[in-house]
Amino acid sequence: MATATMVLTRVKVQRRFGLALRVTAVIALLALAALPLLLGGDVWAQRISRAAIYAVIGLSINTLTGHAGQISLGHQAFVGIGAFAAAFTASRLGAPLGFGLAAAAAAGALTAAVIGLVALRVTGLYLALVTLAFGLTAETTIFNWREFTGGGAGALAPRPTLLASDHAFALLCLGVLALVLYLDWRLVSTKTGRALTALRNNERIAATLGVNTTGYKLAAFSLSGLIAGLAGGLFAHWNQIVQAMDFEFQVALVWVLMTVVGGLRSRLGVILASALFALLPLTLPNFLSSLPWQPPFLNEAVYHVLPPFIVVVMLLIVLRCFPGGFGQLLRPATRWLSTGSARTPRTGTGGRT
Amino acid sequence: MKRRHMLKVDRLMLRFGGLQVLDGLSLTVREGQIVGLIGPNGAGKTSCFNCLTGIYQPQSGTVHFDGRDVSHLPTHRRARLGMARTWQNLGVIDTLTVTENVMLAGHQRTGYAALAGMLGLPGTWHRERELQRDAAEIIEYFGLDAVAHERTGELPYGIRKTCDMAMALATDPKMLLLDEPASGLSPEEALGLATTLRELRDRLKLTILMIEHHVPLVAEACDHVYVLNFGQLLTEGPPADIQRHPEVIAAYLGGTAAETPEPPEWPLKPEGADHGTA
Amino acid sequence: MGAFLALGLFQGAVYGLLAVGIVLVYKAKRVFNFAQGEFGGVAAFTAYAIVVGTGLPYWAGVLGGLAAAVATGLIVERAIVRPLESSSRTIMLVALVGVALFTIAIIVLVGQPIPRVMPPLVDGGGVNILGAGILPQQLILMAVLAVLAAAMAWFFKTDLGLAVLASSQDTRAAQVVGISPIAVSRLVWGMAALLGGIAGLLYAPVGIFTPGFMTLTMLVPAFAAAVLGGMTSLPGAFIGGLAIGVVQNLGIYYLGQQLKVPGAAELGVFALLMLVLLIRPQGLLGGAN
Repeated sequence: MATATMVLTRVKVQRRFGLALRVTAVIALLALAALPLLLGGDVWAQRISRAAIYAVIGLSINTLTGHAGQISLGHQAFVGIGAFAAAFTASRLGAPLGFGLAAAAAAGALTAAVIGLVALRVTGLYLALVTLAFGLTAETTIFNWREFTGGGAGALAPRPTLLASDHAFALLCLGVLALVLYLDWRLVSTKTGRALTALRNNERIAATLGVNTTGYKLAAFSLSGLIAGLAGGLFAHWNQIVQAMDFEFQVALVWVLMTVVGGLRSRLGVILASALFALLPLTLPNFLSSLPWQPPFLNEAVYHVLPPFIVVVMLLIVLRCFPGGFGQLLRPATRWLSTGSARTPRTGTGGRT
Repeated sequence: MKRRHMLKVDRLMLRFGGLQVLDGLSLTVREGQIVGLIGPNGAGKTSCFNCLTGIYQPQSGTVHFDGRDVSHLPTHRRARLGMARTWQNLGVIDTLTVTENVMLAGHQRTGYAALAGMLGLPGTWHRERELQRDAAEIIEYFGLDAVAHERTGELPYGIRKTCDMAMALATDPKMLLLDEPASGLSPEEALGLATTLRELRDRLKLTILMIEHHVPLVAEACDHVYVLNFGQLLTEGPPADIQRHPEVIAAYLGGTAAETPEPPEWPLKPEGADHGTA
Repeated sequence: MGAFLALGLFQGAVYGLLAVGIVLVYKAKRVFNFAQGEFGGVAAFTAYAIVVGTGLPYWAGVLGGLAAAVATGLIVERAIVRPLESSSRTIMLVALVGVALFTIAIIVLVGQPIPRVMPPLVDGGGVNILGAGILPQQLILMAVLAVLAAAMAWFFKTDLGLAVLASSQDTRAAQVVGISPIAVSRLVWGMAALLGGIAGLLYAPVGIFTPGFMTLTMLVPAFAAAVLGGMTSLPGAFIGGLAIGVVQNLGIYYLGQQLKVPGAAELGVFALLMLVLLIRPQGLLGGAN
């Protein structure tokens, strides 16, 4: 009896110690991630904003492709419409930033809902084609509409004084990212997540279990568009000017690749891959040209085209070697952080075994 | 005593291109009955289920369920009225655990809006825990506790089949449509299923319509049997009569009643063409 | 107006040529080949390097370009398509998008992102058709398109073509009757790359070309053409290409010039694509195939 109590106590102590260790690890990692923001000056504050915006875009694609199983190759249209809506609200109407972001989110959601209506009839590869064509059309038609976007010159999106500093703006971007993360987490842990999983795997089974497949599909598109529009609004104020050429259709393709590289349905993976893809074009050329030895056939101009090249190589490696993306590679670590055991747990949704 | 109609199907016509799958099929299931739907492969049994649940839209004919015309309701609305089904090649979602599957089946009973769940409004957390408890109860009833947190895709066929049944019950149905519940079971297990079905019917006040090839199970469990051939009703009646019906024996076996001392197990081959998931 | 019609027809010939390659891959492998345009890009840049860079004769450039395209096709087949055979079609699509971007990145890395002018196959002034100046190059392109579409349609009637179709329907059954699925896969991708290469070589001299020129402006109209033709019909792809070219240029004429709508060409293609997919998803010429 006494030994049993002792063993139990020891297990309890070990468990508490493990928990403390894990909490410390999470805090340390967060602190490490915050270092560039604290010590890096304005340059790093800007970069972190960009990384956060990309992460929001990645999560938006993850909502649609990862959760609902629908593909979009025209996501730059949703982001772009959000960006121009925010710029329009800020510069033409002079409304405060909050209104601008709300307008951006609404514009993105509305556009995506329209594409969602199409997706009810057109599925699979054809949907990919429709979204690609839509993105292209949005890029050349809507984004060049002089009255709305200011044509080639672009639309101005000044920041309010409160957020004028790069640090303040970075905090706003991180705040939005946290909000989107929270939404995604709750989505996955409630009936919506289960319904979307069923929808993604088998629409007929989902429907016979009472899931309104049409409604959820449209909702997934709208939500994805809403998040994308929000990211667009942030982008507008990050850059302070929005131009049609910011939303060329390769951009959308790269975003899809980045989400897949990060790992569909893996929040951490998507964030890491998005941040990497956001920072690579900014940091890699500087880093390479600051190296003491320059390879003979490489030069400044080449450094600038390297990032997309690296992105695609990463995609091809991911697809062939670990289809779960970064998320799959990180799973032992994330599992340890969340449950304390690195091995495959028997718990699925958090019930006790 | 005549009980009221739970399901009343009137002159269903279903065509795929030039193929007449259902040809004026009518059938009635009364409240509390266990009714069998049998027939050779390709007779249109699963297509009939698909019309009842609204997955196929028949060219003509009506479906009344629980006193309501549901002919033009989408599948999920019929499910909400209390129509649940199992699938020939299983209605479980492979990437979810058994618990999650059963919770998924509780979709229509969650009692909170999807948006509320996403925003994490206070009531939803509590409700999720309740759903989990409900699911655990159902899982325990079916003896699935040991695998409650395993992904269904990694489980053996028999367990996934049980999970499918558990999910159908978790939707809180008035009526169960079972598509070959005994396939993959041993003859003894199949007979045991008859007891389970009767018990479920009595305890949960269910009405059951099932497609089944396993004659002893049909004979044991069903109050009434419909025989389908080439999309038409061949005959109907109590199981004992059906077993002796010469046309039924001919349609199934191409032989005569005298040659079969014991009702055989009819072929268990799936009707792939009737029910594709693609 | 007439000039726009004529321009549209000849522009459409390029879409048709790409669409024939897209349809070929779709018929045989049920895959949307987003890399089809870049086979042309590889061919055009290789030919340019040979003809302008080293001063070798034109035919050497053409041969080199086509060889490079086919080699690219075979590498893609071996390195990407075959290993991913069992994964979902969406993953395959993403991978092929990756291949297109990868190829563009390589071309930029090797050749710098500057515009180039490829000398045409035949010199000489334009011919006036309906008030539009049509280059001899474009006339050749139209003729080649017609011949290739007919040849491809004929190919699927030959034993080899039927074998390719059979293997797309049921790999194991095809294996049983002695068709190696690997050989079929190689054949299909090689042929698709050859078609793409021809399209690139013929189109590059029509204007100025830059890295990615086939994917960025040609690919979506080409896919629209293939969809218009029903995705599995080779004559359909041919006619669809011409139709898309005409619609695009009519869009430019009516929407762009008269109503000053920006991006009229893309808008026209998108509208037509939506119309076909929503109203007649089997395409204008698609049948039960």
